[in-house]
Amino acid sequence: MKEKEIQHLYWRAGFGLGYNQLQHLKGRSKTNILGDLFSEAQNYTPIQLDLSEFGVVNRKDAVNVMSNMGATSLQQLRKKSQEKVKELNFAWVAKLGDSKAVFREKMTLFWANVFVCRDNNIVHLQQYNNTLRHHALGDFRTFVKAISRQASMSKYLNNKQNVKQSPNENFARELMELFTLGVGNYTENDIKEAARAFTGWSFLPNGDFYLRKNKHDFETKTFFGKTGNFDGDEIIDIILDQKQCATFICTKIYTYFVNPKIDKQRLDEITNLFYQDYNIETLMHYIFSSNWFYKETNIGVKIKSPMELIAGVYKIVPFSFNNKKQLLYLQKMMGQVLLYPNNVSGWKGDTYWIDSNTLMFRMKLASLLLNNAVINLEEKGEFEDSFERYYKREQNRNRYLKITQQWDTFNKEYAGVTPEDLQQVLILSKMDTDTENFIKNLSIGSNKDYCIQLMSLPEYQLC
Amino acid sequence: MKRRNFLKQSTLASSLVLVPSFVKAFETVAKESFGFKKLVIVQLSGGNDGLNTIVPFTNDLYYKNRPNLFIPKKDLIKATDHLGFHKSLAPLKNLYDQGYLTILNNVGYPNPNRSHFRSTDIWQTASDANEYLSSGWLGRYIDIYGKMPYSGIELDDSLSLILKGETMNGIATKNPKILFGNTQTPYFKKLLNKQSETHLSEHNLGYLYKTMIEASSSAKYIYETSTTFESTFTYPKNPFGEQLKTTAEFINSHLESKVYYVSMGGFDTHANQANKQSSLLQTYSESMEVFIKDLKQNDTFKDTLILTFSEFGRRVKQNAAGGTDHGAANNVFILGQNLKTKGFYNESPDLENLDANGDIVHSIDFRSIYATILDQWLRVNDTKILNKTFSKLDFI
Repeated sequence: MKEKEIQHLYWRAGFGLGYNQLQHLKGRSKTNILGDLFSEAQNYTPIQLDLSEFGVVNRKDAVNVMSNMGATSLQQLRKKSQEKVKELNFAWVAKLGDSKAVFREKMTLFWANVFVCRDNNIVHLQQYNNTLRHHALGDFRTFVKAISRQASMSKYLNNKQNVKQSPNENFARELMELFTLGVGNYTENDIKEAARAFTGWSFLPNGDFYLRKNKHDFETKTFFGKTGNFDGDEIIDIILDQKQCATFICTKIYTYFVNPKIDKQRLDEITNLFYQDYNIETLMHYIFSSNWFYKETNIGVKIKSPMELIAGVYKIVPFSFNNKKQLLYLQKMMGQVLLYPNNVSGWKGDTYWIDSNTLMFRMKLASLLLNNAVINLEEKGEFEDSFERYYKREQNRNRYLKITQQWDTFNKEYAGVTPEDLQQVLILSKMDTDTENFIKNLSIGSNKDYCIQLMSLPEYQLC
Repeated sequence: MKRRNFLKQSTLASSLVLVPSFVKAFETVAKESFGFKKLVIVQLSGGNDGLNTIVPFTNDLYYKNRPNLFIPKKDLIKATDHLGFHKSLAPLKNLYDQGYLTILNNVGYPNPNRSHFRSTDIWQTASDANEYLSSGWLGRYIDIYGKMPYSGIELDDSLSLILKGETMNGIATKNPKILFGNTQTPYFKKLLNKQSETHLSEHNLGYLYKTMIEASSSAKYIYETSTTFESTFTYPKNPFGEQLKTTAEFINSHLESKVYYVSMGGFDTHANQANKQSSLLQTYSESMEVFIKDLKQNDTFKDTLILTFSEFGRRVKQNAAGGTDHGAANNVFILGQNLKTKGFYNESPDLENLDANGDIVHSIDFRSIYATILDQWLRVNDTKILNKTFSKLDFI
C-alpha cells in the first residue's frame, strides 16, 4: 500500500499514525496490513475501574440493604458514582490513544454514537461501555439484543417503567427511530406492539438482566404484519428482517468511515452484504479491502471529531494530563464529552462540529496541548450548579493546561524527518494553495515548532 | 455605524486581501438589512420555581403543597387580587407597574420532559418532545435572515444549540476583546492574510476556511463596533450583570446583531430553595432593571424585546430537603416598551388539575410565543423557522 492509503486507513479505522509506524507499513500488501489491523482488534480488553466502593450491588440482598441505607448514605454513594463516571471518561479517552486494538476502539466510539446512552450509575455505565466494546465487531443481532438488556439503557429510555399494566413506549420508539430503522419506517402501532414485547424487562442492582414476569405482557402482538406471542428478542429479529435496518446502519457506517457524502451505488453494495448476515467485521473488512475506499475523493474529506483530534495529536506527541478535569474542559469546549451525550440522537458529526467558536478553539488546540498557550475561554456551567459555581469555574483552574508532553519520544522519532515528510504525516487533506505557499515560506525553527504549526491549520481538522 | 462605513474603515478591507465573494456577502447583508428590532433571550438555567416567583397567594392548594416553602403574604409584592411577586422582584414589579412586563402563565409543551438537557434542547430547538432537531430556532432564523455569525450572539464562550443553524451559526462571546484577540495571534493572522478566493468552493475544506474567515471578521466587527460605546450605568457586580452590561453595549453601539442569548445559572433548587432562589431572583431583577434603564437612556429599549424562560418549572409539592424537584409548565416573562397586553396575559396556574407527576399542565405552547415574536416583532416567516404553524398570541 501507498503511504497515503495507509494513512487514510489508519485515520478511518483508528486515530492516525506516526512516522515510524507509517515507514514500517509502507509497501506491504493490503491483505497483510488489514490482517494485522483486524487481528489486533480481536483483543477485547474491557475497562475495569476500581468499583469496590459499590460492592453492595453484588450482594444477593442488595435491594434490601440499599433501601435500608438511608437517604444520606445513598446520596453519598450517588455522588461517588458521578465522580467515577468522570474517571470512566478519562479511562476511555486514554484507551483511544493507547489501545493496541485501535480498530476495536474506533468501532466502540462509533457504536456509542448509535446506541446513545447516558447514566450516573458507574456500575451500569461501565458495563454498558464494555458491552459496546465487546460487540463492536461482532454480530449486530446479538449486539442489539445485548444493548436492549442493559441497565443503563433501561433507565435512559424508561424501559424500566414499561410494564404490562401501563406500557411506556420510549424504548420501543427509539429502538426503531434511532437504533435500527430510522424515522418513518414503522407505524405508531408497531411502536405500541413492540413496547408490549419489552414490558417487564428489568435489571438487578448489579446490572444483570431479569424479566419481571408479572409485568410482562405474554399476549399476542402484531408487529410488521406478523402475529405471535413475541418477546423483545423476536421483535428485534423482525426489525432486522427489514432491509431498511441494514440500509440504516450502513448509511451511518458509510458517512462515518468512508465519506460524509454518500455514493448510492456503494451504499447499496455494502447494504446487500450486511443484510446477508449482519456481521460487522465482515462488513468493515469488505469496505477497507475495496478499491473505492481508497479513492482520492474519500481521503481527507471528513471533519475530525473532537476525540479524533485529541487522540490524533496524542499519536504524534504523547502527553498526559496532570489535572484530568482539564481533559473534560477540552471536550466541553469542542462539544463532545464522552459518556455525556446531549440527547439520544447523538452527535451529528462532520460539519456539525464546527462553528466560529469551536473552530477557533480547535485551531488553538495544538498550542494548548503542546505549547502552553494561555486558556482565556471558559466552559459552560452545569444545570445543577449553584449560581456561584455556574460562573466561577476558572478560579479553580490554572490558566494553562497542566500537561506533561513526551517531547523525547517525538524528538527521537522525528529527528531526521524532513519538514516535507512531517507535513505528509500530519496533513492528509488537499492543501489550500494560499496556505501551501504560506507554509512554504515559513521559516522552520524545529520539527517541534513546525509540528504545532501544521496542527494549527484548517487542513489538520480533516481526516 | 453604517455597514458601508464599517467596510470602508475596516482594516479587514484594507489590509487583508479580501475575496470578492466575501465582500459580496457583506454587501448582501447591507442591502437586505432586515429591520432593527432586537430580541434578547434569557434562560434561567436549571429550572426556576415559577410558583414561588409569582405566587398565587389566595390559593389554599399552594399552602398545602408547600408547608415549609410557601412565601408568606407579608413578603409578597401584590400585583393582582390573587398574584404577588416574590419580594426579591421589586425591580421587576416596577417594570410591571410601568407596563413594560407581560407575564404568560402555564407555558410548556405536550409530554413534558423533566431532564435539564432534553428539555433545554426542546426549548432551544422548538421541537416536539419526541423529535430531535440539530439546529436551534434562533440558528434557523440566522440561516434565513442573518447571513453572518454576528447576527446572533450568545454571551458565553461556547455556542449553545439555540444559535446553531443548518447553514450558519451564531457566535459566542462574553468578552469581545478576548474573542478578537484569539483571532489575532501572529500565526492565525498571517494565515488569514494569505487567503484569496480559490478555496471557498471546495467541500469541507472550503467550509472550514469560510468559517475561519467569518469568525475572524465577526470577531473584529463585534469588537470594533462595541468599543465605540461604553455603558455609564453601574450594573450589579456579578456575572449575570456583566452579561447584560455587555449585551447593552452591543445593542447601544448599534451592532447589527439581531438576537442575543444569555444563560443565567443556579436555578436547580432541589434543596434549601428559599434563600437560594431569593438571591437569584434579586440578581435577575436588579440586573434587568439597570439593563432596561441603560437601553432606555440610549433610546434602544423601544426596539428591544426580552424573553425570559426556564427549561421547566418545578413540582408543585415541595420535597423533603426544603426544595422542589423538576416540574413542567412555568411562567415566562416578556419585557418591552410597547406591549399590547400589559401585566398578566392569561389565567393563574391551576393547582387542582395537575398531571400524573403532580406538575402544572401547560395551556400555552412555548412555540406560540416564538411564532408571535418571529411574526410580529422580527417580522419574518415563523412557519419557515419553526417548521410548523402555531397559533399566534396577542402580547406585542
